[in-house]
Amino acid sequence: MTLIGLLSILRKLKSAPDQEVRILLLGLDNGGKTTLLKQLASEDISHITPTQGFNIKSVQSQGFKLNVWDIGGQRKIRPYWRNYFENTDVLIYVIDSADRKRFEETGQELSELLDEEKLNGVPVLIFANKQDLLTAAPASEIAEGLNLHTIRDRMWQIQSCSALTGEGVQDGMNWLCKNVTAKKK
Amino acid sequence: MFGFIWQCFYSSCLRFWMKWLLRLVTGTCELQRICSQCKAGALRTSKIEYSLNSSKSKVLRAALSVKEADLEDLIAQIIQEKRIKVQNDHTFKLNFQKCLLQISGYSKLFEAVEELRKEVYDSEKEEHEKMLLKLWELLMPSVRLESRISKQWCRIGFQGDDPKTDFRGMGMLGLTNLLFFSENYTDAARKVLSHSNHPKLGYSYAIVGINLTEMAYSLMSSGALKPNFYNTVSGKPQMQHFHEFYCYLAYEFDKFWLEEEPESIMEFNRYREKFHDKVKGQLQAQEVTLSFTLDAQK
Repeated sequence: MTLIGLLSILRKLKSAPDQEVRILLLGLDNGGKTTLLKQLASEDISHITPTQGFNIKSVQSQGFKLNVWDIGGQRKIRPYWRNYFENTDVLIYVIDSADRKRFEETGQELSELLDEEKLNGVPVLIFANKQDLLTAAPASEIAEGLNLHTIRDRMWQIQSCSALTGEGVQDGMNWLCKNVTAKKK
Repeated sequence: MFGFIWQCFYSSCLRFWMKWLLRLVTGTCELQRICSQCKAGALRTSKIEYSLNSSKSKVLRAALSVKEADLEDLIAQIIQEKRIKVQNDHTFKLNFQKCLLQISGYSKLFEAVEELRKEVYDSEKEEHEKMLLKLWELLMPSVRLESRISKQWCRIGFQGDDPKTDFRGMGMLGLTNLLFFSENYTDAARKVLSHSNHPKLGYSYAIVGINLTEMAYSLMSSGALKPNFYNTVSGKPQMQHFHEFYCYLAYEFDKFWLEEEPESIMEFNRYREKFHDKVKGQLQAQEVTLSFTLDAQK
């Protein structure tokens, strides 16, 4: 075999693409989406600013290439969320568990998302974030408040976490990777 | 590759012998030669900084972070160690001192900036609340803020009804920057705010401002701002100079954004990067002097 032939085989082996997964990260402003994104990418989280527009990062995890789209959550740009629905494999919805005043608003946004045709059947992972705060509501309380048990048209999971400390984040991602395979195959 | 090898060879060996030779021929040390040959500003101060940084002498390296009170003593020590004949070189001491003030002043200023950034906005603190309300008054003089928690905050580009959650990783540095711009260049700030309310090219004024604080902060922290400060501030740079640089960014970004005509606010990060690259490019020029100047027309 020629050297060039060998090299091209090596190259193919090396670039054997991981299965790509498109993840959409949504939720109200100040929920912790960007912190979560940076935590997933193992980046510094101490200089975060509010997201104007969106951020995107690719993260390798368990043989997947996760393309994570973090879209700003302020009311003014929520109408743009729909531009990112197409081909979404998993939806991650982030909730600030300590911001009880906005539970209703965040529930409203979530149920609107679940009604979207383009997100039909897309598994949803809900992060009950900011569990490091003393005032945080437990995931079970949030699940009840949002009537999550009525979701029947897709796989869903609620996971308590702290994007700040990283606690719970990996558990959520494990669920995600497991369920994305089920869906993709 | 070749450049890299040359660089290693130069800094580890050749530079030493060249300095030795020049010292022998001219009778002056490298610090003196830099002070007399380079004009004041980034050119001179950066070279002095490089020279001190690569020195093996503890005394010389200590000069990089000298406290103002110890400056005189340290310079005397350096003059002694380097056997500089001050009587033959009257300008050296003063010029060298200015360089040291600029160099150590930069890191002192960064410490202060970092401290302000780490200070979290706290609605229990009267001073913080006062600053926030003052920002409103300066930007919206004809509209009364109906209550501290109000949807009205969105009109100056905060995300929701309470701005305190928007400062995040930039802390009080973000608010101080916003307030400085509105206080010292009120007309310019209001003009930028009015552009940000454009129906098609609009953006969130305060949020973008906090993003630009992050830009100014990271340029400062990487040292990219050094040449600019060395050229524009002849002594020790102060907090006000950092704020001035923020004003420059806020004003110029607005112009840049309008000129580029982005499709929507969702494109923000792409244009932010483009603008960031532009500023970084400007800061690489030795003679850079970025300062806020109001455009006559617009």
